[in-house]
Amino acid sequence: MHGLFRWSGKWWPGVIPLVLFWAIAAWTSTEPLEADLAQRSTAALKDTILDKRRISVAGRDVSLAADAFSEDGRQSAVASVEAVPGVRLVNDETRLVPEATPFVWSAERDVLRVTLSGSSPLPASKGRLMEAARASLGGVEVVDRMNLSRGAPPRFDNAALLLLDQVGKLKDGKITLSDTKVSLSGMARELGGREAIAAALKNLPEGFSVAANEVKAPPYIFQAYKDPVAVTLTLTGNAPDNNVHAALAAAAGRKFFSEKVVDNLKASVGAPAGFANAVVPALGALSRLSTGTLVVSDREVKLSGAALYEPAANQIRAGLGKDFPQGWQFKPEISVKPAAAPVDATVCQQLFAELLGKARIRFESGKADIVADSAGLLDRLIETALRCPNTNIEIAGHTDTDGDEAANQTLSEKRAQSVTDYLVRAGLAANRFMPVGYGSTQPIAGNDSEDGKAQNRRIDFVVR
Amino acid sequence: MAYLATFYWGWLLGSVLLGLAMGWISVVQHGDGVPRKWRWALAALAAALVAATLTRVVPGRFGYWLDLGLIMFALYLCGCAVGSWLRDWVVSRSQPAA
Repeated sequence: MHGLFRWSGKWWPGVIPLVLFWAIAAWTSTEPLEADLAQRSTAALKDTILDKRRISVAGRDVSLAADAFSEDGRQSAVASVEAVPGVRLVNDETRLVPEATPFVWSAERDVLRVTLSGSSPLPASKGRLMEAARASLGGVEVVDRMNLSRGAPPRFDNAALLLLDQVGKLKDGKITLSDTKVSLSGMARELGGREAIAAALKNLPEGFSVAANEVKAPPYIFQAYKDPVAVTLTLTGNAPDNNVHAALAAAAGRKFFSEKVVDNLKASVGAPAGFANAVVPALGALSRLSTGTLVVSDREVKLSGAALYEPAANQIRAGLGKDFPQGWQFKPEISVKPAAAPVDATVCQQLFAELLGKARIRFESGKADIVADSAGLLDRLIETALRCPNTNIEIAGHTDTDGDEAANQTLSEKRAQSVTDYLVRAGLAANRFMPVGYGSTQPIAGNDSEDGKAQNRRIDFVVR
Repeated sequence: MAYLATFYWGWLLGSVLLGLAMGWISVVQHGDGVPRKWRWALAALAAALVAATLTRVVPGRFGYWLDLGLIMFALYLCGCAVGSWLRDWVVSRSQPAA
């Protein structure tokens, strides 16, 4: 031992080459060592979820800067790097991702793009939302303005994915998720889009609820145009379903006795409540015009055109709105067609015969009440009567042979009187008309078929 | 340490061999050793450096270089001790024969 102490005094010359060794070793090894440690540290953090991760190595000291999503995650990340063989120290520059209260996420759609903004809980959810947005919006630019925050409600991803699906149904608008409350605003892309979104929102994950749904739908349009030149009635726009569509087409057929009905309606959901109850009377009013357009936009009914005579215009202006369901508005723009040139009695009779040859005045079954569908025909009869003001006209009621003859006689008289009353209410002089009932005594067709009977149940206008 | 040993075993082996050689020579070398009072100063310096490396107060690359230097130095000293002891053993066996 004493020898070792004595010899050690002479070991110093070897330190000179040792220092040289050391310098070369330090010079050549530092950078490879740092690269190796950086790689091992990165590998150690492979399964740890971090945002903005930055690893820098100086010698054997690793500086770890990152945003973690939980305190546990943050500590385990630091521990993972500390456990890497060769690491001497970890400079912990990690922090927790800020917590968002309330946790707000939103998707906004305008003409060009969809912008996702607000908070997202994890990088993976953010990626999933972006991917889902691109997939469901097909071709629309998706802009990511989301940041990462803690404090997302449970099942956030499912809720946000469902809401992203709804963004596809909007033309423009914004869907906001604030904690568990969903607010929607904007305009649906198509008719029925609003209803589809409302239905989809029922599938929101448990705990989420709709705070405000202010999605508007494009106006529900129905149009009818009566063209006096082509003698057509053109129906365009939407009808709620096939039943209503059929009912509208049938009503148009009854009310427009001389026009050909061109039906271009298409079935679309999203009709306002009471659609059929408003449109059928409005079609009745249109049938009374010489030319006109009916536009139904949501709950607003606009009827423009020319009535055949002044009292008809007043009746339409004042009367139609009353027939509408609650909440519907009527905007009449009714003018009066210039009076046609007067004609003599023969021509007048001919015109009556022509009109009544195309259609008959119709009554409630077994009664003397004129049905509303005949208003258009009656207006044309009145217009014709106005053209020959100096003639007297017999209003002749006829029935078929069904039932008791006396009852038929009475019914024919009542029906003739009913028509006369209608004409007088329209402003014609009462003394020009003679209501006469003929019962079934003057058939114009055989009473042995339904068709023949229908022809015999009639009102004739006979100029005297 | 184990990581460094596997990473740069070549340099460490070099230090040991250098120590062995120096130790081998030092037994028969004539001349002055390090003066006694210097020894204490050098030992204190070595102890301070060891303390610095154990407490990890020297940061970054300098810390790594210090670690590397001390390991190489320690292995050098071990090499010296083994080399001196071997040479002494060889010399003491050959003297009675001579």
